[in-house]
Amino acid sequence: MSQSGVPSSRLARKIRDLLPQMLIMLGVALLVYFVVVTTRENLAQLGVQSGFEFLHKEAGFAIAQTLIPYTEGSSILRAFCVALLNTLLLAVVSIGLASLFGLGIGIMRLSSNWLVAKLGLIYVEIFRNIPVLLQIFFWYFVVLRSLPGFADSFTFAGFVLNNRGLYFPTLQIDDWSALFSGGWHLVVPHPGRFEYEGGFALMPEFLALALGLSMYNASYIGEITRSGFLAVARGQYEAASALGLSGYVIFRRITFPQALRVMIPPLSTVYMNIFKATSLAAAIAYPDIVSVFVGTVNNLVGQPIEIMLLTLATYAAVSFAIAWAMNSYNRRIQIQERGE
Amino acid sequence: MRRLVLGFLMLALGLWQTVATAGTLQEVKKRGFLRCAIVEASPGFSAITDKGERVGFDIDHCKAISAAIFGAIKIEYVPITPQTVFTLLQSGGVDIFPGGATWTYLRDTSMGLDFGGVYLYAGQGFLVRRDSGIHGVDDLKNATICVAQGTTLEQNIADYFRARSMPYKIVTFANIERAMDAYQAGRCDAFTNELGAMAGRMQGLVKPADHVILPDVISREPMGPMVRQGDAQWRDLALWTFNAQIAAEELGVTQANVATMRKSSVNMEVQRMLGVKGDFGQYLGLQNDWAYNVIRLVGNYNDTWDRNFTPLGLERGLNRLWKDGGLFMALPFR
Repeated sequence: MSQSGVPSSRLARKIRDLLPQMLIMLGVALLVYFVVVTTRENLAQLGVQSGFEFLHKEAGFAIAQTLIPYTEGSSILRAFCVALLNTLLLAVVSIGLASLFGLGIGIMRLSSNWLVAKLGLIYVEIFRNIPVLLQIFFWYFVVLRSLPGFADSFTFAGFVLNNRGLYFPTLQIDDWSALFSGGWHLVVPHPGRFEYEGGFALMPEFLALALGLSMYNASYIGEITRSGFLAVARGQYEAASALGLSGYVIFRRITFPQALRVMIPPLSTVYMNIFKATSLAAAIAYPDIVSVFVGTVNNLVGQPIEIMLLTLATYAAVSFAIAWAMNSYNRRIQIQERGE
Repeated sequence: MRRLVLGFLMLALGLWQTVATAGTLQEVKKRGFLRCAIVEASPGFSAITDKGERVGFDIDHCKAISAAIFGAIKIEYVPITPQTVFTLLQSGGVDIFPGGATWTYLRDTSMGLDFGGVYLYAGQGFLVRRDSGIHGVDDLKNATICVAQGTTLEQNIADYFRARSMPYKIVTFANIERAMDAYQAGRCDAFTNELGAMAGRMQGLVKPADHVILPDVISREPMGPMVRQGDAQWRDLALWTFNAQIAAEELGVTQANVATMRKSSVNMEVQRMLGVKGDFGQYLGLQNDWAYNVIRLVGNYNDTWDRNFTPLGLERGLNRLWKDGGLFMALPFR
């Protein structure tokens, strides 16, 4: 624009445009203020404790799966960390599995083999159209009810599968200095009084959730993958073939990296959805944040406002972190435009 | 625009007003019915018959309060879960929660809630498969236990097993049905709950005879009606409504004979209780015949027990009157 300065009529219009927004902001701020003040007053009048001191109290309840040391004597804050880690473990495993399954499904759908492509389509149509909670229930009850009991467990090379979960052998290091000369031994799950002991166990609740969340979301990721590959110009493939590159190299070096650029933004959404859907864990006794915090701890301390705030803030923070990580990655792999 | 801002302000003012200044009793009378929080399905305590009627020990206590206030059954039942009920009570969504809440120190002192007496002495027990080789709680070392969430049960187990250095695994379900389903499916070695409710639900198992309740009781669960804190009149009403049922049993007044007793009893306490003599009703803000209505419409404690628990085979045990070796002693109507 060659004109310098803003004409006064424009300024007036700008103010007129901004005023309603400012009034709305003011209204919202007032509303929040009134809600906070009233809530505090009401709570004080009712004699309800408020504040976050409860986090330092002894928890006094057990949690079925703990990735860090935790006992009934630990603080509620530690119980929160245990539950958060359980949620994150579930999210990471589900996101990983969903990506793997999804990539496979997407590639199946692009296959020139009619049967393979139709199988991919059937998968997508089935898993995308059934609510994920029902799928989790389905897996949970199938996993639970059709798996053998303790006495008839499936065992294979130290792995054990029964209705109490999936047990892995684990490596135990007895002596770090003699790591390569027999300073370790393998702990193989062995039958105890009620269940297999030793090794590492995944609860059936975890298995059902990981399966439900990843199979459901794989159908979306499959479609995202398909669209990503379809977005890669046909000429890219033809040029690569003309150079005599093998199919794998074309996929790995030419088409996949280009497809990925298209796939990342919609994938971020799916990943965030998977993370948020881990809260369905509360429906089948997997000790995630919602189950432990909104369920058990709220009943223990009776401070729903603080507990909901903390839970909401946690979900918001992790979702934001996922979005941030995916966006940074997206920026890194985008074509770097040169100059104007 | 101006209307939007005005709306915001009015909404804010509306929220400002939510502090309940009127007593709960006045509110209930004005509204014309009682809002009673109930657990949707717990045989013996709260259930729905084939005819669609709500029945059970907790339901009877809702009815007793309603009878005391209105001389009739005017109730809106609000189904709750253990996770939501405290919040609902605190926020005024319900007037009373008669069932399933154990009277504990923290619930009474730190949550803005009050208890109107104890109307069931219970304890936490365990259900196991008959062929599991488990004969007592001590056999549950390393066992997996299914439990419903948001109750004192989780903490009781933690206390009990910790004191004995017994490791165990707990699987915490959102509600009792799912916990019991999982137990039945073999997910757990034992299912734990309050004994009365467990006896009621045991009938729902595929083969009840394959399961057995362990003899050990690991906790004391004195349960009573829960109300909001800071409304002494309403708490008194909850306490005395229940007490009228205990007193009636002690004084020999039953649902069957209350009409005749009212006309013919020469016992002065019966006369005062049933509103023949004196003006006892007004001190609670009620009609003089409030207790008469409670017994007429719901019955004394034994009537409720017989109707709800006897069919489940539940013994009265500690819940007998003091003169029969139990813990209940009626507060005098004087």
